[in-house]
Amino acid sequence: MYILLFRNFIRSRSVLVALMLFFTVGIISIIIGRQFLLKQEAAIESVTRFQQAHIERNTQFIKNDFGLLMYYLKFAYINKPAPIAALAIGQRDVNAAIQSFTIRGLEAQRYDTDLYNPYNLMTGNFDLSFVIVFLLPLLIIAFNFNLLSQEKESGTWPLVNVQANQPLGFILQKLSIRFVVVLSLLLSLLLLAKFIIGIPVDNAFAAYSIIAILYCIVWFGISFLIIAMQKNTSMNALLLLSAWAVFCLLIPGLVNNYITAKYAVPEAYSTLLKQRDGYHTKWDKNKDSTMQAFFSHYPEYRKYVWTKPAFNYLWFYAMQQLGDDEAREDSKAMQQKLVKRMLVSTRASLFFPVMHTQLQFSNIASAGLQQQLQYLDGTVYFHERLRHYFYPKVFGDSAVANEKWKMHVPEYFTADVRIRWLPLTLPLFIASLILYGAGVFVFKRNDLFK
Amino acid sequence: MNNVQLIARHFVKTVFRSNVFIPVFTVWLALIIYAAVTGYTTYIRENKVRAAYQKKARESWEANPDKHPHRMAHFGSFAFRMKHPLSMFESGMESYTGNAVYLEAHKQNTVNFSEAGFSTGLLRFGEISVAMLLQLVLPLILFFLGFGAVAQHRENGTLKILLSQGAGFRAIVWGNSIGLFSIGIIFLLPVLVSMLLVVAIQNQAIPNAGLLIRSVVIAGSALIFLWIVSVVAICVSTAGKTSAAALLQLLGIWLIWAIVLPKTLQAIGSYLHPAPAKIQFETAVEADLLKLGDSHNPDDEHYKKLKDSVLRANKVDSVQQLSFNYSGFQMQEGERMSARLYNEHLQRLYDIYDKQNNVSYNAAFIDPFISFKNIAMAFSGTDFTAYRHFQQQAESYRYNLAQTMNSLQMKYISNKKLGSNDKPYSIERSHWTTFPDFRYQYQDLRAIAKQQCIALLSLLSWLLSSLCCIYYTSGKAKAI
Repeated sequence: MYILLFRNFIRSRSVLVALMLFFTVGIISIIIGRQFLLKQEAAIESVTRFQQAHIERNTQFIKNDFGLLMYYLKFAYINKPAPIAALAIGQRDVNAAIQSFTIRGLEAQRYDTDLYNPYNLMTGNFDLSFVIVFLLPLLIIAFNFNLLSQEKESGTWPLVNVQANQPLGFILQKLSIRFVVVLSLLLSLLLLAKFIIGIPVDNAFAAYSIIAILYCIVWFGISFLIIAMQKNTSMNALLLLSAWAVFCLLIPGLVNNYITAKYAVPEAYSTLLKQRDGYHTKWDKNKDSTMQAFFSHYPEYRKYVWTKPAFNYLWFYAMQQLGDDEAREDSKAMQQKLVKRMLVSTRASLFFPVMHTQLQFSNIASAGLQQQLQYLDGTVYFHERLRHYFYPKVFGDSAVANEKWKMHVPEYFTADVRIRWLPLTLPLFIASLILYGAGVFVFKRNDLFK
Repeated sequence: MNNVQLIARHFVKTVFRSNVFIPVFTVWLALIIYAAVTGYTTYIRENKVRAAYQKKARESWEANPDKHPHRMAHFGSFAFRMKHPLSMFESGMESYTGNAVYLEAHKQNTVNFSEAGFSTGLLRFGEISVAMLLQLVLPLILFFLGFGAVAQHRENGTLKILLSQGAGFRAIVWGNSIGLFSIGIIFLLPVLVSMLLVVAIQNQAIPNAGLLIRSVVIAGSALIFLWIVSVVAICVSTAGKTSAAALLQLLGIWLIWAIVLPKTLQAIGSYLHPAPAKIQFETAVEADLLKLGDSHNPDDEHYKKLKDSVLRANKVDSVQQLSFNYSGFQMQEGERMSARLYNEHLQRLYDIYDKQNNVSYNAAFIDPFISFKNIAMAFSGTDFTAYRHFQQQAESYRYNLAQTMNSLQMKYISNKKLGSNDKPYSIERSHWTTFPDFRYQYQDLRAIAKQQCIALLSLLSWLLSSLCCIYYTSGKAKAI
C-alpha cells in the first residue's frame, strides 16, 4: 500500500518537474555561495600580497622616520569566512570581511564599509539558506495543498474512508511519502554542497542540516494543520500561500521595522563626530594636557621624555589616541544598542520558526550580527596590539631597517561559534508539536461534526 | 457599454457582499497605517537626527581658532544623507546605503553606517513599507478576489445564461476587469490619503523636493500597475478550465513576478558582470596614483618637473620668490589629479554596477512588478541613482573644501620656511565661517524621469498589452 502510494506520487509529471526545478535552483544557489566564497578568498589573498608590497614600498621611501612611516602603513585584520558561510552568506555581504588599519585613530577606520551594489543587497543573496528558508516551503505547499481535497473532489475519499480504518493514518501516510521525497531532495543538496564547496563535516554542518530538516518538518506541520481543516483545494492553496507570505514576509518585516524604530543608532554619528573633534582640536590645545591624558591612559610610556618640541610623533600619536578615547564611550553605547537589537530579534525568533531558521543559519556559518560584533570587538584588540608593538619604535625613533617587516602579515579573526543544541532545536520542536497536535485535534473535531 | 458597467457593478457588489471583504480590508488598512506611520516617523526622526549632527559638525568647524588652512583641510567636514519625504512610502535601497561620510583632504572615504550594517539579519526578509504592501500583498489580494470572477460562473453554469442574455465575452472580461480594478482603487485609497497628507504637511517645509509631481507619478504608476494586475487576474480566470486551476495559475504568476524574477535576475546580473572587491579597487587606484607621482615625496619626478615649469613660467629661480605659496599650489595640483583619477575608477565601478542592474531594469518588459518597483524607488528618492546623487554632492563638497583651503594657503601663507621657535603660520578664523556648509539637494525631476524612461515605457507597454490581452482572451474564451 505504502509503496503503491509512493509510486503514485512520484510518477506524476508535475511532481517530477517540480523536483527537477528545485534541484537545479538548489545547485545554482550552491554555486552562487561558492562564488561568494571564492571572491572573498581571492580578496584575502590579494590583501596579503598587497600588504607586503605596500610595506616594502613605504619602507624604501621613508627610511629614517619611523613616526612618519607608521602614518602610512596599513595592517589587515581579516574576518575569514569558513566554507559553510557559502551556504549562509547572512550579513557577510554587507559587512566588510577585510579591514586594514594604520596605528592612527581606530574609530575613524573600523566602520569603513565595503564596496557593493546596493541593488544586489536589496534583492539579497541567492544562497542555499534562501532556497531552504523561502523556496522549500513553497515546494512543500505545492506537494501538500490538495493532498486530501483532491481525493474529496475527485470522489475517491469515501472509498478510502471505507477501506482504510484510519482516515487520519491515511493522510499521515501520504504526508510522510512527500516528506521522504523532500527530505531526500534536501539531503542530496546538502551532500552536493559538501562536495562542491568542500565543507568539513563538523558540528556546524550537522547543526545546519538538522535545522534544515526540522524546518521542513515545521512546514509539513503547517500543511497538515491546513489540510486537517478539510477546505476545498483553492482555499487550501490560498491559506497555505498566505501563511507563507505572513511568516516569510510580513512578520519578519514587522519585527525588523519595530527593532529599527525602537533601537535607532544615533550613537554611530556621535562616535564619528567625537573622534574627529577629539583628535583634531588637540592641534590647538595645550600640548602638555594632551600628553598628560595620554600618559595617564598608558603610564608605561612615561619613560619617553616629553621635551615640548613644535612637533614630534609622540605628541601626534597621543592626539590620535585621544580621538579614540573621547569617542570610546559613544562607540560602546553603539555596540550595546546593537547587542540589544540582537537579543530582541533572537527572542522574537523563538516564536517564529522562519526567523529562527534564518538567524540560526547565519549564526552557524558565523555570518550574523553577533559575529560581526565580535569582529568589531576584535579590531580593538588588534589595533591595541599593533600600537603597543610600534609605539616604542616610534617614540624611541628606531631604525626602519632594523624591523623585521616580513613578519607583518595579515591577522585572522575567527568568531567563537558554540553550537548550543537545545536553544537551536527546541523552538522548532515545540512549533512542530503544536502544529501536529492542532492538526490532529482539528481533524478529529471536523470528523465528529460530520 | 452598458453591459460592461452592469457587470463591473455586479462584480463590485459581489465582492462587497462576500464575507471575506471586510476582514481582508481591515487587515490591509491596519498594515497600511502601520507602514505609513512607521515610515513617516522614521523619516522625521532620522532627518532630525542627521540635521542635528550636521549642525553639530558645522559648529565645531566654525569654532576652530586661527590656524594654517591645511590643518582645516584635514579637520574636514561631514555629509549626512537626508531622506526624501517620500521615503516613508518606499524604503527602496535606503537601508543598504550608508548615511554619513567624513570629508577630508587627500582621501575619499566610504559612506558609512547603513541600516543593513546594523541589522540583525532580519532585514533579509525585506521591510514593511507602503510600497512593499502595494507591490506584493495587494496583487495577492486582487488575485484572490478575482480568480473566480469568470471561472466560477462557468462552473455554476451561470456563464451560459449571462451570454445568452446578450453580454458578449468582451463585455464580461472588460466589466470584470473594471470591477476588480475598482476594488483595487478602494484598497489604494488609504495609500493615496497618506501620500496626500505627507504632501500637505511637507510641501511647505521642503519646497525643492518636488513632492507633488513625484507623488502624482507614483500614484499614476500604482493605478496602471493595479489595472494590469486586475486584467491578468480576470483573463486567467476567463481562460482557466476551473476556478481552482485559475487560482493556481495566478499564484504561480505572483510567485514568479513578485519573488522569483526580481531576485534571480539580479543574481544573474551580478554573475554576468562581476565587480571587483574593495581591496582590488583600492590597489588599482593606488597603483595609478603612484604613476602620477606622490605629492608628499619631495624627490618625486612628476612634482620636480611641475616645480621647474612653475618657476620658469613665473620667471623666478626659487620657490621663495614666488608670489604665492608653492606647497599650497602643489597640493592643489595633487588633489586635482588624485580626485580625477579616483572618480574615474569609481565611475568604472559604477558602470559595472549599472550593467548588473540593467538586467533587472530591462526585465521590466517581462515583469510589471519590476517596472512599478523601479519607478516607485526612483521617484521616492530611494534608488541607486539617488544615492549616487548624494555621493557626488558629498565628493564635490569635499573637493571644493580641500581646494579652497589650498587656495587660502597659496594666497596667505608665506614661502619662507619657519624656524623651530617661530610662531606657526595661521590665517584668520573668519575664513572658516565664510566657507558654506554642506547642503543636500534632492535630485532633479527631469533627471529621474530620464533615468526611469525604460521603466515608464515598460509600464505603458504593459498597459497596451493588457488591452490586447482582453481582446485575445475574450476571443478565445469558451462558455463551458
